[in-house]
Amino acid sequence: MSGNSLVLPIVLWGRTAPTHCISTLLVMDDFSTIITGCHDGQICLWDMTSDLEICPRAMLFGHTASITCLSKASACSDKQYIVSASESGEMCLWDVNDGRCIEFTKLACTHTGIQFYQFTIGTQREGRLLSNGLYPEILVMDATSLEVLYSLVSKISPDWISSMSIIRSHRTQEDTVVAMSVTGILKVWIITAEVSRMQDLDPVFEEESKPVYCQGCQSISFCTFTQRSLLVICSKYWRVFDAADYSLLCSVPSDNDQSWTGGEFIAADKVIIWTEDGCSYVYKLPPSEHFRSHVGKTKESLVPPLIYKIAERSDKELLICPPVTRFFFGRREPFHKLLIQGDSAGQLSLWSITDSTPQQPLSVSSTISLQEAFDKLTPVSAGIIDQLSVLPSKEEPIKVTASVYIPSQGRLVCGREDGSIILVPATQTAIVQLLQGEHMLRRGWPPHRTLRGHRNKVTCVLYPYQISPRYDQRSLVSGGVDFSVIVWDIFTGEMKHIFCVHGGEITQLIVPPENCSTRVQHCVCSVASDHSVGLLSLRERKCIMLASRHLFPIHVVKWRPADDYLVVGCSDGSVYVWQMDTDALKQFSLFQGNLPKYSHNALVVQAMKTNLTDPDMHVLFFDVEAVIIQLLTEEAQRPNPTLVSPETLQKSQAGADKGGSFLANKIFKQVKETMKETIKEHLLDEDEEEEEEMRRREEKSKSLSLLEYNLTMDTAKLFMSCLHAWGLNEQLDNICLERLGMLRPHCPISFGLISRGGHMSLMLPTFKESLLRQLSLATGLKLTLSDIVGKGTYGVSRAVTTQHLLSVISLANTLMGMTNATFVGEHMKKAPARPPRPGGTPESPRRMQATPPQPSNPALQAQIKQGNYKRRGHSFHVGVTLAAMHCVMLPDLLGLDKFRPPLCLEVRFSQALLLAELRRIGVSGRKDTIDMWASYLPQYVDTVSSRKCFASVVLGSEITNGRNLCHNDLEDTNQLKEHNWLGQITLTVTSAGCNVACR
Amino acid sequence: MIKMLNSQRSLSELPKMSAASQVERAVLEEEFNWLLREEVHAVLKQLQDVLKEASRRFSIPSPGLESQLKQENFILGSSSMDQVKGVLTLQGEALTQADINLKVAKSSQTMHFQFREDKQWKLQQIQDARNHVNQALQLLSSHDESYHFKTGTEVNKLMDAVMLQLTRARNRLTTPASLTLPELATSGLMKMFSPPMPGDVMVNFYINLSKLCLMVYQLHVLPPNTTKNFKHAGSSVLHNPGAMFELNNNRFEVSHVHKVECVVPWLNDTLVFLTISLQLCQQLKDKISVFSSFWSYRPF
Repeated sequence: MSGNSLVLPIVLWGRTAPTHCISTLLVMDDFSTIITGCHDGQICLWDMTSDLEICPRAMLFGHTASITCLSKASACSDKQYIVSASESGEMCLWDVNDGRCIEFTKLACTHTGIQFYQFTIGTQREGRLLSNGLYPEILVMDATSLEVLYSLVSKISPDWISSMSIIRSHRTQEDTVVAMSVTGILKVWIITAEVSRMQDLDPVFEEESKPVYCQGCQSISFCTFTQRSLLVICSKYWRVFDAADYSLLCSVPSDNDQSWTGGEFIAADKVIIWTEDGCSYVYKLPPSEHFRSHVGKTKESLVPPLIYKIAERSDKELLICPPVTRFFFGRREPFHKLLIQGDSAGQLSLWSITDSTPQQPLSVSSTISLQEAFDKLTPVSAGIIDQLSVLPSKEEPIKVTASVYIPSQGRLVCGREDGSIILVPATQTAIVQLLQGEHMLRRGWPPHRTLRGHRNKVTCVLYPYQISPRYDQRSLVSGGVDFSVIVWDIFTGEMKHIFCVHGGEITQLIVPPENCSTRVQHCVCSVASDHSVGLLSLRERKCIMLASRHLFPIHVVKWRPADDYLVVGCSDGSVYVWQMDTDALKQFSLFQGNLPKYSHNALVVQAMKTNLTDPDMHVLFFDVEAVIIQLLTEEAQRPNPTLVSPETLQKSQAGADKGGSFLANKIFKQVKETMKETIKEHLLDEDEEEEEEMRRREEKSKSLSLLEYNLTMDTAKLFMSCLHAWGLNEQLDNICLERLGMLRPHCPISFGLISRGGHMSLMLPTFKESLLRQLSLATGLKLTLSDIVGKGTYGVSRAVTTQHLLSVISLANTLMGMTNATFVGEHMKKAPARPPRPGGTPESPRRMQATPPQPSNPALQAQIKQGNYKRRGHSFHVGVTLAAMHCVMLPDLLGLDKFRPPLCLEVRFSQALLLAELRRIGVSGRKDTIDMWASYLPQYVDTVSSRKCFASVVLGSEITNGRNLCHNDLEDTNQLKEHNWLGQITLTVTSAGCNVACR
Repeated sequence: MIKMLNSQRSLSELPKMSAASQVERAVLEEEFNWLLREEVHAVLKQLQDVLKEASRRFSIPSPGLESQLKQENFILGSSSMDQVKGVLTLQGEALTQADINLKVAKSSQTMHFQFREDKQWKLQQIQDARNHVNQALQLLSSHDESYHFKTGTEVNKLMDAVMLQLTRARNRLTTPASLTLPELATSGLMKMFSPPMPGDVMVNFYINLSKLCLMVYQLHVLPPNTTKNFKHAGSSVLHNPGAMFELNNNRFEVSHVHKVECVVPWLNDTLVFLTISLQLCQQLKDKISVFSSFWSYRPF
């Protein structure tokens, strides 16, 4: 999934929150966001209110290993950046506001600690990241590019740095880095102006190196209040050193079975120290002068008294690894001093530390876990096939444990924990979960098929035909915890064969590459938890090879077809080479696999799990460009083309050529190609044996009637319904519902944002809770979830909003040009007993739509045309008004001041750009543009000014469509640049203008 | 505990389950409890012993007392065929003395180099491996006999963490850092010798498995208007003759490569200990997984 094309994810999280075993945490400076990293590599953003209520907002994906550390990466409060590092050496810079990945890099070494610091060089301050880890240096990186600038190196006994702290000394006015090595040697580096300016990789040596005999150091920190003491926490004791000469002031041992893991100064004379199992203690240090007079004397008299204890969590029995504790204090109002703990159950606990001394152990101020937040939701967070999985006797739906999406059929295959496999049309089940409508009244909707055969949890499903056309189109392969692999006929639902060759749960099913021997080509490769690999022949229905007795779990299976070798990589790094098929006919065919018909699909349903033990959650990826191409393709294939026929496309192509636009050209080319392919396929179909054809058709219709509905239109319907800003303009909403057949979402939808390098941010279903709270506070009204559906879509972040806007406009414009510019469904109509819909009169447009145009009835045709125009007009309105709503009216409608200034600026800026561009293309250029699109203009608008506006909207959106293509296709970078910005501005400005015109 | 609770609940909830399987379940449950209570600690103890033995091999310097570490001499390239011979002194994780004799092909004379008095070469691979082993030991020490394991997941999590450290320790010894030739040329290693290393000779020391290796590259400068196709050599552990690189506007080509090595017995021991520990960890995980797949079973 490349970050360049416009792909919008929508998440169906299901009721079970993802596993979030917290490995590190961070609180932003303004105390409005908590960030946690987990052992599986995800990062969670939690919103925090000023009265310490916490609500998880989004989850960031992109790291492949456990998160080792988090740090802020910007100083100013208007851009909130954080940097995260993982066990595998990846580093990533994220925008906290929208979860965008701004920069990422990977080094061979693992970082265990990162700190942000602004070094002062003369009058300038430069943001730097200092990192330590499993290497003997401290690396200094640029905070925006993540480039290593220079490194701090030890001359004397260099070793790994276990912890470091940076301080700007009042005394010497120098930035000082103090670090403790794993062997207990304190190191001091002084960063001078000339050091900071260094660009080459010359090492900077330490200023001082002092053995302080602190083995197993966990953390060090300066007293920020006085800058006179340094706190060093080791697992068996903690010590206070003088910050000037590093002489030992006091040392406190831990109780026998506890080990300290961290601590901080909470006041000039108080420290808080916490243990590995999550207990925290507050100690009072003696007054400073008294403290120092004792240096060098016996230390027993100097053990600082324990003042109070922080109450432990009662349920920490169930934790599977030590919790993470951190202390943060606010430098601005309301000067929070927070102790925060995150544990393996994804739970955050907060203690607000006061300056007074409580008599009892300090009790927890606020606590929440990811699962608790999920449980609190009403309606509950939807899973992809929840409506089919709720058993009458049970509360919880049966969990989906493995799934695969078959794009060519639009079907989703879900293996579940009870051993059954469900085949269901993906768009329709998504509509049920996300949108309101008639389908809510039907039981067992949409039509689906259940395959029963596994006796327990299904762990993996594979549809081999999707990967290579050499397999039978009907075969579906599934593996389960019952050690079996089952082959199914997807069309009849019949169980073809059960393989029972493994001695453990099946963990993976893999398709061998193309150039294997013919025998192996008809196999699938199965991997099981007993560390064995099998080659199961689907054609012969037997296992042709079983490679077992590996000592470690199998990590990866690779192929060397030329030598007939199967190469098995195990988790400990060992590699085994197996001969696949001893009596194999050595065949070196140069067979090229067929490329999939569409290079990308309009909708891809991807199952994801953050942890192996979790049930699947599903992400719907909408590729806007692909939706448009498919819509246009289908439109062009219509037998009775009325508005957009290939001829008109041709015309537009000619126009585009004249206008120098290669975009329309490209879309057109793609449309043509896909058409050709489809036609070819039809021909092929005819070549097949009649009998076979008949049987298949019979099977298909008998099986599910799945292929009768229009997949593309359904996708577009789902997509438009999700993206429309509901609840901001009632009139528009009604038009969308009644005329266009769009459906209103149940509640705000969890969208996502794909950014650089496949990094992804997905909104958690709980995001709407904090949004609701925020909006209620802002408007002073008591709002319900359904009130904020649209605001939930458009009030989240600017990057997400921009993407949504571009998608809505381009899609609306495409639909407008179609004969059937409405989603009022046909498959729903076929159902025998449709309950009447309360309120609304959806009948008339539907009838118009359903009846095919008959030339013999001119009156009716006129009506249809009018209807079409109207509809087209409406889709215009949808697009235009949506855009306008977003660009101009959204801040007002949402009642949120914080969106206003940047948006206004953007609009003004783009206005200026557009004017410049219009001036550049001159009178003839402007005329050409409008002429080019004149055929697409609705005729009921006749004033010149608004005509112009509409023309530019069309232009804008066309370029918008093209924008995405441009991104993909770098053959013409000049055009890219031009269209890129032109698309955006035209869109913004014209929509603003249109809004006026439409009014 | 949570899994056990679940299983107990499902026990009471399921009257339809046959008596036989209920008995079987109870037996399994007991066996699982034994595993958590006894077997896990036995394995952890064994693991700790093995790793302590491994850690003892890396003699850890205590600050200030580095000079008291024992010195070991290794003779590399003892056969008369070798053009390079070296005597290296390993003290802990650093090479403190080196004595290299190099017979250059074109002249019959032997070149002789030694480390400067004030210099020593740190073998980062050994330090990294030692630190990883110690981290694994630290993880284990916080779960001694007094610790009560509640779930299988908890054991798995601990094993994963320990195995990560052990795999890394082993990988550090088995895979030396690959360097590009300019990196090697500018590394401090070339400035450590007395007499100074001539510009057309480069050396590198590293650990590969249990062997201490010495690489010597002989270079020749490519004339600026050479007809040869100049191509930068990438980073590699071992560069072959013919590899080219550019440094200070001069183009060089590797003409001869000599590699001599010598087994360090205690590194061999360490590798064996690491492999045994990894297997112990995996076996424990496999034992747990037998039960966990049973607990996750929910009849429908």
